[in-house]
Amino acid sequence: MSTTPPNEKSHGIELPQPTAGPMICAFGLTLMAAGIVTNWIVAVAGFATFVAGAINWFRNANPDSLEMLATPAEEKPTPIVPRPGSVDHLVGDATHRARLPMEIHRYRDGMIGGAIGGVVMAIFAVVWGLISHGSLWYAVNLLAGTLLSGVTDMSMEELRAFHAEGLVVGIIIQLVMSIAVGLLYGVILPIIPRGTLLFAAVIVPLIWSGLTWATISVINPALGAHIEWLAFIASQVAFGITTGWWIIRCGKISTMQNWHYLDRFGFETQGKGGGS
Amino acid sequence: MSVLQPPAGPDAAGPVPFLSRLHEWVTTVDHKKIGTMYIVCGIIYLIIAGLEATLMRWQLTWPGMDVLTPEEFNRLFTMHGTTMVFFVGMPILLGSANILIPLMIGARDLAFPRLNAFSFWLFFFGSLLLYFSYFGGQGLYGMGSAPDVGWFAYAPLTERTFSRGHSTDYWILGIFVAGIGSTATAANFIATILGMRCRGMTLMKMPLLVWIMLVDSVIILLALPPLAAAQILLLFDRLLGAHFFDAQAGGSALLWQNLFWFFGHPEVYILILPGFAFVTEIIPVFSRKVIFGYPLMVAATVAIGFISLGVWAHHMFVVGLSPMLNTIFMGSTMLVGVPTGIKMFNWVATMIGGRIRFDTPMLYATGFLCQFLLGGLTGIFLATVPFDWQVSDSYFVVGHFHFVLFGGLVFAILAAVFYWFPKVTGRMMNETLGKWQFWLLVIGFNITFGAMHVSGFLGMPRRVYTYHTDRGWDFWNLLTSLGVIVQILGFALFALNLVHSLFKGKKAGDDPWDAWTLEWSTTSPPPPHNFEEDPVVHSRRPLWDLKHPDDPDWKYE
Repeated sequence: MSTTPPNEKSHGIELPQPTAGPMICAFGLTLMAAGIVTNWIVAVAGFATFVAGAINWFRNANPDSLEMLATPAEEKPTPIVPRPGSVDHLVGDATHRARLPMEIHRYRDGMIGGAIGGVVMAIFAVVWGLISHGSLWYAVNLLAGTLLSGVTDMSMEELRAFHAEGLVVGIIIQLVMSIAVGLLYGVILPIIPRGTLLFAAVIVPLIWSGLTWATISVINPALGAHIEWLAFIASQVAFGITTGWWIIRCGKISTMQNWHYLDRFGFETQGKGGGS
Repeated sequence: MSVLQPPAGPDAAGPVPFLSRLHEWVTTVDHKKIGTMYIVCGIIYLIIAGLEATLMRWQLTWPGMDVLTPEEFNRLFTMHGTTMVFFVGMPILLGSANILIPLMIGARDLAFPRLNAFSFWLFFFGSLLLYFSYFGGQGLYGMGSAPDVGWFAYAPLTERTFSRGHSTDYWILGIFVAGIGSTATAANFIATILGMRCRGMTLMKMPLLVWIMLVDSVIILLALPPLAAAQILLLFDRLLGAHFFDAQAGGSALLWQNLFWFFGHPEVYILILPGFAFVTEIIPVFSRKVIFGYPLMVAATVAIGFISLGVWAHHMFVVGLSPMLNTIFMGSTMLVGVPTGIKMFNWVATMIGGRIRFDTPMLYATGFLCQFLLGGLTGIFLATVPFDWQVSDSYFVVGHFHFVLFGGLVFAILAAVFYWFPKVTGRMMNETLGKWQFWLLVIGFNITFGAMHVSGFLGMPRRVYTYHTDRGWDFWNLLTSLGVIVQILGFALFALNLVHSLFKGKKAGDDPWDAWTLEWSTTSPPPPHNFEEDPVVHSRRPLWDLKHPDDPDWKYE
């Protein structure tokens, strides 16, 4: 920023004169409105007030009396002192324009990691169902209850039995949710400053379990009635460890945020400066 | 031509007589004084509307209480909503913009200073006209006092058959008069921003607050006239025997809903966009980083402005629109979440990697992010037609919009007050009191409006003055009311802080936050002419360039 000398006349800075005109006009207009619901005399008085205010306003706006002069204030702004060398550049980039994170995980890796984590979680849940209730299908049927209303009314015997509809719906729910959560892992993990695996394996599963605990009776009453929380949390942790591990092992790529536009569009030209 | 002396310090020539000071304020055309008057009026109405809300919560604390009659309750929720939207939100936002726009673009005043004064006084007298209804609303019929038709004044409740006396007329006329002022102010802002920027400040070098206020002003120009038109039609119905909204005589009650919400929903964005503007200026300064994605923030603001004009019928999902219309408005409502989400991500991205200072303005800005996010998410729920059918007109909706307009807007306004108070008054606000107030408000706010979501889920309809004890709502209403007490404590601290800081606050200096926009380059408070010399800028952060000449912004823009 710099400044230019004032373009006003040499003896001061021109400013508009204070005037009561606008206030009187506004009051008159309000009285006119009030006259509609009180008495026509109020409206007439309002009109007269409005006209008086307008005359005051317009006379004040006469070019001869348009402006008043503000003399320069005694108090001057404190000069801004340059502080060269005081800028800390963000890590890994020479400009303070760097957009963090500089590197991200591929979305693809997040989705694949989520799918793998989903499979591990499903195996965990099925094994739990087999051990605790003697059925491969118990956990699948409970999960399907998120979308299938009939599951809520099933007896324990029916929950242990195979239902093709339940299997299809259960697989779809597990796959979609796992891939979506894996994608979120891929997006969020690069912005976690440290303890990434701890975040993926413990913190997120605990938050997710808490959220599920709070909403399960609305979202899936069947699961809410039969859920065993310790096993549920363990299955979430299994998902978190697997997905987090997969995403981290796949490594990161540089974002395009700081690339030259030509690089972003894939053009190979000379003299563009910057680039990845 | 007279000569205006610069504002004299308190010790300069003894105390100025009260009448002289009053005259100075009443006749002023200075944008900073007018802005201050807007904000002071807004705070006074905030106290009034807060008292109205407190009375309602007192009544609802426990089933079967008789603090208020049903009629009084109806008037209170009408006046609370109307006051908060038109006489708290609007004046504080227009006032802030009044003060900040010329200072941020390096201008001496708004384009039309006298029109600006006219607009303020229209707002002022319009608000008095509405509140005069408590005295004059009975009219010749001796019925009614203040309006009791809700802030949306649905037809046919507003027809003469159901709303005797003149209370509804006062509602119409008070808002109509104030609306003329708001429309004129919007035109004034647009002219100022487009025509009075200092040298070097191209549109893409404007502070984002100014960009957002430009879009906000355009929305005001497009949304307020339909409300004014609808109000005139309603006045015809009530006073001249027309039947625009009288379904029994061939009119349409839905016409009112369409016209009102064509204004009403953009109004939400008119209110929240300046809130966005405040935090957009505050977060970078306290993160010590440049705003993330400036061009995208501009694009998102314009997109929000555009989409906000096409979502109004989501307020009407339960009136029986066709499935096609419901689907279209559900889609457009969800669409507005995209640019809003972009802003949210950009604010967070600005904070990531920054050297964050949690001074009070930043605390409020962070509180805004969290609570507005929650309000936005329940907004997505409500945009889904089947969900809306379940909870429409319940306390879930009340909780939702208070998360948006209180958790979002009021927190952003408080952030702005703490941030710009030093510039306007020359004194700092007390940080300790500010932080106590923040935590009291966060706790009280979440208890009050979080609990409303639950009572809404449990089926409690809004606008009921009492309820039976067997509905399972008792505990949640008690909790809601207890939260109000905590909030009152917070606001009492705020009032104490304001008054104390105004007279005894630490001297602020010109640039107490080490900020980057032009208003911080002049004195605190600024002189009547704002700047001794016309500023010339080379980047979006002109003061950064001066402070860091070895690493100026213009190299990267």
